[in-house]
Amino acid sequence: MNLNELPPLFDEHGRCMPANLNAPALAQSRRYFGITTPQIDYAAIHARSTEHLGGSGILVDEFARRCENLMHALRADSRTHGISKGVAVPFLLPRAEHADYGEALSQRYIPAVAHAFAQAFPQYSFTDHNKNVMAGQLGIAPGSRHERLLQAMQQGPVVGCYFPCLSEYSLPAALERVQALPEQFLLAGGYDTSAALVGTPGLLQRTDGYPPLLWLAAVQAEKPLVGYYYEAYGYNLTFNRRPHFGQAAEYWNSGLTVLG
Amino acid sequence: MTTMAQDTQPNKLTPAELAKREGLRARKHYVADKLAAITEMEERGEISPIIRLEKSYLCNFQCTHCSAEYYMDRHQKKVFKIKDARRKIDLDDIRELSRQADELGLARFVITGGEPLVMKDFDAVVEAIDPDKHYVITDTNGWFLDDAKARHLKSIGVEKVQLSLDSMIEADHDAFRNKPGSYKKVMRAIDASLNAGLNLLLSTVLIKGRAKSPEFLDMCRFATERNVGLYVSYAKPTGSCTEHPEFVIEKEDADILRELEKDYNVFTHMTPTYGSFKGCITVKGIITVTSTFEVTPCPYIDFSLGNLRETSLKEVLARGMRNPWLGPYRPDCIIGEDPKFIKLHTEKTRGVTHLPVPWGQGFSDTDTLTD
Repeated sequence: MNLNELPPLFDEHGRCMPANLNAPALAQSRRYFGITTPQIDYAAIHARSTEHLGGSGILVDEFARRCENLMHALRADSRTHGISKGVAVPFLLPRAEHADYGEALSQRYIPAVAHAFAQAFPQYSFTDHNKNVMAGQLGIAPGSRHERLLQAMQQGPVVGCYFPCLSEYSLPAALERVQALPEQFLLAGGYDTSAALVGTPGLLQRTDGYPPLLWLAAVQAEKPLVGYYYEAYGYNLTFNRRPHFGQAAEYWNSGLTVLG
Repeated sequence: MTTMAQDTQPNKLTPAELAKREGLRARKHYVADKLAAITEMEERGEISPIIRLEKSYLCNFQCTHCSAEYYMDRHQKKVFKIKDARRKIDLDDIRELSRQADELGLARFVITGGEPLVMKDFDAVVEAIDPDKHYVITDTNGWFLDDAKARHLKSIGVEKVQLSLDSMIEADHDAFRNKPGSYKKVMRAIDASLNAGLNLLLSTVLIKGRAKSPEFLDMCRFATERNVGLYVSYAKPTGSCTEHPEFVIEKEDADILRELEKDYNVFTHMTPTYGSFKGCITVKGIITVTSTFEVTPCPYIDFSLGNLRETSLKEVLARGMRNPWLGPYRPDCIIGEDPKFIKLHTEKTRGVTHLPVPWGQGFSDTDTLTD
């Protein structure tokens, strides 16, 4: 069968459409909670990523070219074309090998988001509300493909795009959905979501409505019904942990990552 | 009354709050244990809503923004020329509700109305709730809350008073409440409550634009200086406020308030409190039991989740949590900010003589957000 004859995976707003799921996801979205498409400034993203996450050795031009190529490939495929209509957030991660996911998230990536946000919005605040010690507690959700990001990071700096397109999915449904997507799609976790927010710290800033909560869906928490997430609070940004009940909610959003 | 405050204030436990909790534990260890267990319940994915109990809608005020006005006998008589013949809750019903709530680990009741302090059976209601099993709070407009009354409330087991104050400008408060002299009575009630050792919360209604006003800032300062929490309720287009859609806030108002939380002892029902992040607290943090034993998800949503004569409290809460409008989590006030829900609610409640709209006709298990 010609792949181009298969139905599209994403709608005209970039949402990954739920299909054949056992876990709950809202079939349709009224798009009440949404992210305003950010202006992509590769130089600024590159500069913030370098400052707050460390140097990658990749120059701005190469970063931009690899992101644009990635987006071009997605646009060119009729099944994935729709994702390019939604929000895409380029990110850059330096080479890294972390022995402990939770420790790296709490010691390196969340503080990087905090610093980037404070620098971009000194009048507002970033708050890490999570009181749970993450070191030694977090894993990668089986089937999320997130381990491929970690493998890529071990080999060298990573260029990618973060797509907050699994809107209104339960966490189990997000995990289920990614397994049926083409191989280039990884479920976003802690490092990539954080890197997206480091490069674009105003991603969840919105004055005319509410942005969604961003789950780190590829992160397996220490308890089955618990998850970690970034969330706006007014003009401020927060990190937190909460039970997700295995339910879908209009406000809940998980992300996909594509590496370039 | 329109108050729906949580039993919490901002995020950190102050020495004063710690002292209050230790005091409660010394007097009522069972209640203190239940309150302390709420965080663990939420961790397990369970909920522990405050139960607002509307046994009577009698009131000596007629406020511009009252959410309960359409439930009142005076409204039904004046507007619909009817008398509500539905069976009303009695003390046995309240005892049963208290039992079911206790079984589910719920720990907090707010007696509201109407004006609770005009209820002749107020003391009996407190007794039926059982202040040794539940943390008992009362709403009040403060009119009758003098030193003697405050001491009496404390003596019968009431722990906290939520007192309505709608402006720091005396004339504006009295006009909003349609009751000359009410501002002075609120000020008296503040002193009386604190003197009697009652926990005190001030509650106020935020209408569009007020968050930016000097008056509102004055109120934030006043509450903070008195070391009293200021609970802010958004004006909703329900009850008497149906006639004032211009009161409904915009996100900017909510965001200004979120910024004020950093500097003042001020909060809304969406404010994270003591490690609990519920967002809109409908069902998760609060329910209302009406005088006909119907359960609504908040004081401003006139759709029932079930009648406790027919459905257990446990199932009613489960209905709420699986409803896409209400559960499991959202950051905004559904009836104060979401235009689609406000429209739906307005259409389904328009002209209804007996509120709330029963389960199945307002909310149901087939609800979707996109119909």
